[in-house]
Amino acid sequence: MNTKIITFIMALSTAVFTLSAQAHDPKEHMKNAEKPDCTAMEKMDKSKMDMQDPITQAMMKQCMDTMDMDMDEKAEDENESQSHADESTEHTH
Amino acid sequence: MSARKFLSCGKCLLITVGIAIVGGVAFLYSGLYPMGADVPHNALTYWGLETLRERSIERVASKIEVPNDMNTSARLLRGGADYNDMCASCHLAPNKKQSDFTLGLYPSPPNLSLARDEVGHANHGDELYSQQRHFWIIKHGIKASGMPAWGPSHDDQRIWDMVAFINSLPKLSPEQYQVLTARGDSSNEH
Ligand code: HEC
Ligand SMILES: [Cu+2]
Repeated sequence: MNTKIITFIMALSTAVFTLSAQAHDPKEHMKNAEKPDCTAMEKMDKSKMDMQDPITQAMMKQCMDTMDMDMDEKAEDENESQSHADESTEHTH
Repeated sequence: MSARKFLSCGKCLLITVGIAIVGGVAFLYSGLYPMGADVPHNALTYWGLETLRERSIERVASKIEVPNDMNTSARLLRGGADYNDMCASCHLAPNKKQSDFTLGLYPSPPNLSLARDEVGHANHGDELYSQQRHFWIIKHGIKASGMPAWGPSHDDQRIWDMVAFINSLPKLSPEQYQVLTARGDSSNEH
């Protein structure tokens, strides 16, 4: 009984130790993950943005969700916008 | 010219070199050179160290092959998040003008959010060499400076991602920087 507990604790601490010793995974930084603040992006005129520019493309990727939500809000009916989302090819998520 | 005269000249040269070496070693042992990070190097030492650093990096970095997909949004997003987590405390950001590290470290970490011809981030050759040089410096670090080697804990792809991000960093506004470096999801439980 006692040895079982000790073995368990040893295995656990070994697991924790090896996990913490593993080289730097991006997930490790998720603890203090910040959300992108897309308010400035939403106000921008999308027709004037240069879609070939990698910075603009990256901005679009990060703000895709909030921009989509914006479009949904403009739809008159909540239920309608839901069904609209299913058929729309613009929605990529 | 007699052989005797030539010999004596060689002798005096030898003596001069000997005195220089003894003097140099004596200076090292005297402890007179200020070692604190809050006293800058004199011009001669600075020139010597800078030349040593740049020549050494150029020799090895100019052979590095740069991936041909550097200019992609995927690299910007991966590199941006890593830069913000690991580098911005020293190398600053569009909305960050100084930190404990930029004030206290010597050599001071250059502000990588400034364009290459602006103060703090000197211009080192063309765009290709600039990327090779950045990759090498991030992977291997720089001796006797605050710049760590990130190679032991990060693979080459992640380092190239950061090189790509640094390349675009001077063009970013504070708002763009925030969006590109945020790791979280913009939607609330979407
Ligand atoms: C603790 C502070 C510190 C951190 C953290 C740090 N650096 Fe540095 N870095 C420095 C210092 C100091 C130098 C200048 C060294 C010198 O001039 O000899 C430097 C130099 C550089 C240079 C060369 C700049 C130039 O053009 O001369 C690059 C590129 C760089 N760092 C990238 C990074 C990246 C990317 C990260 C994050 C993964 C990072 N650094 C993290 C302190 C730091
Ligand atoms: Cu990291």
